[in-house]
Amino acid sequence: MSQKKQQMQVEQKVPENVAKKTVRDTKLREAVAKRRTERLAANKTRRSQWEKNGQAYEAEYKAAEKGLVDNIRKAKSEGGFYVPAEAKLILVVRIRGINTLNPQVRQTLRLLKLRQLHNAAFVRVNKATIEMIRKVEPYVTYGYPSRTVIKNLVYKRGYAKVNGQRIPITNNNVVEQQLGKCGIHCVEDLIHEITTVGPHFKEANRFLWAFKLRGPRGGFIAKRRSFINQGDWGNREDLINDLVKRMI
Amino acid sequence: MTSVPLVSVFSADDSTKVTAKHIPLPAVFQTPIRPDIVSFVHTNIAKNRRQAHAVNPQAGMQHSAESWGTGRAVARIPRVSGSGTHRSGQAAFGNQCRKGRMSLPIKVWRRWHRRVNIKQKRHAAASAVAATGIVPLVLARGHRISQVPQIPLVVEDKIESYEKTTDALNFLKRFGAFEDVQKVVSTKVVRAGISKQRGKKYRVRKGPLVVYFNENAKLLKAFRNVPGVEVVNVTRLNLLQLAPGGQLGRFVIWTQSAFAHLDKLFGTYRYASVLKDGYQLLRPLLTNPDLARIINSNQVQEKVQPAKTTTVLHEVQKKNPLRNTKAMDRLNPYARKQRAAAIAAIKANTKGTKKIKKNKALKKASRAAFNKVSAALNDATNAAVQEEQDIKVKYFSVQKGAAQAE
Repeated sequence: MSQKKQQMQVEQKVPENVAKKTVRDTKLREAVAKRRTERLAANKTRRSQWEKNGQAYEAEYKAAEKGLVDNIRKAKSEGGFYVPAEAKLILVVRIRGINTLNPQVRQTLRLLKLRQLHNAAFVRVNKATIEMIRKVEPYVTYGYPSRTVIKNLVYKRGYAKVNGQRIPITNNNVVEQQLGKCGIHCVEDLIHEITTVGPHFKEANRFLWAFKLRGPRGGFIAKRRSFINQGDWGNREDLINDLVKRMI
Repeated sequence: MTSVPLVSVFSADDSTKVTAKHIPLPAVFQTPIRPDIVSFVHTNIAKNRRQAHAVNPQAGMQHSAESWGTGRAVARIPRVSGSGTHRSGQAAFGNQCRKGRMSLPIKVWRRWHRRVNIKQKRHAAASAVAATGIVPLVLARGHRISQVPQIPLVVEDKIESYEKTTDALNFLKRFGAFEDVQKVVSTKVVRAGISKQRGKKYRVRKGPLVVYFNENAKLLKAFRNVPGVEVVNVTRLNLLQLAPGGQLGRFVIWTQSAFAHLDKLFGTYRYASVLKDGYQLLRPLLTNPDLARIINSNQVQEKVQPAKTTTVLHEVQKKNPLRNTKAMDRLNPYARKQRAAAIAAIKANTKGTKKIKKNKALKKASRAAFNKVSAALNDATNAAVQEEQDIKVKYFSVQKGAAQAE
């Protein structure tokens, strides 16, 4: 009886390939699961760090605004004037198309990342860049962007240059991979670096692709004239924000 | 019924009886199947039986036709000279003309035959022989071999002495090859096209190929009249018969001595061919075709790198974080708190505001004041209008008076 049972219990023979593959697959699966748990834990810490950073920056911005207002009031109360620091950052918007351009102007616009009509880019203010912008003044309008405008540009129109490709900034991995070594780990870090023109402004700005804006709702006034002459090109200081809000 | 590396030789009289067991398969049957070589060689060799033909060189040109030139309101094509018949003045000579010569008339010295490298021809023949030993290929070619006891079918030499067609037929019936013959018979069709008037009335399929060895074999005559069956000596194997139409897998019936002769003919992987001078069978590209086993082997798996995972850098669709809370949360976890705080602040601001009560007394007083002012304004305007009227009246009456005076 037991012999028959033994005969009935046929040995389960597994093909060699299948056996090897199952061993391999289980090992791989375990490794993947382990990597996943590690990644999730790391993400949690990362997210809490982003939140902290966001909070810190908010406090910083508020303090800066309050500081400016306090200084103005203080100066007024003393009968003087408070002259705030000159802008460190400007936002340049190209308002002329590509046809019939002077080659130097063409090249300078390219250097400013403004290859297309209605492209916008952040530019640090120093002697070199001032000269560049002076060269292309009739073809661009520029000014000092406000914090909200910078924030909106990066969130809504923010694309990154990754391996020469234009990648949308849909998550902080993009930022982390490219700018992690500069201490910029999330979009808020990036915005902070841009607004305060920090030590890694160059990397942060290079990371950003030029903002492709739409034409302004309500239109330009007269692109053939400078802003001072009831037109559009050139420096319009703080009024760039109104324009860009219509173009975002 | 299987294709086996060991082959049994069957008795000619009884398909169930085996006269010799476990004959090793000749090395030809192990050569790689190269349909590319076979089709190339076949297309070229098939041209070698062609007979030259040509169009009459004078066809369409036996006129003294000349173009009439311009200025006569007709095309410039050469026209038949003369008069008195319809034909005169008609277009001639051109390929486009009625009764004209064809364009590029076929010449006898057209290159009818093709030469193929001997090595290629031999490789093709070897491949074709190998294919005859593979059941799926023979089936795919369309042979009816479901009742055949073995592929390759090897039979004792007795069939070489068959003289009568009945013997041949019975032999085929015994070995299940008659189904193939029946197929040939039932599918004999009158050929479409002109060829039927040129001696090729019927289109007949190919049946079994019987391969014998001894030159004095009488089976040629026995099998000659069986439709579809071809007989060939093993020393004169023909690719056009082994792979008709360039299609591998003819159904072949070997005699024992013919089968044994194949090793001498094509050689083996150990020694080159004896009869085909310097010919060595093609070696397969893969000695071990079991890819699954190779891939899963320890030697390969040790060296293999882990599979690359595609890291998706960004979501496929970009959502606007300023309007999409999930997208914003992905980028800035603090934004949620900011928004909550802002909403709370708004609520806090609106909480303290009281509803403004209407002060009726004040309303009455202001209304009275307004009425007073508007009344005064009215009076003033009326007065002004009246004054203007008076002036006008005065002026005109003065004018009238002046006119009257004159």
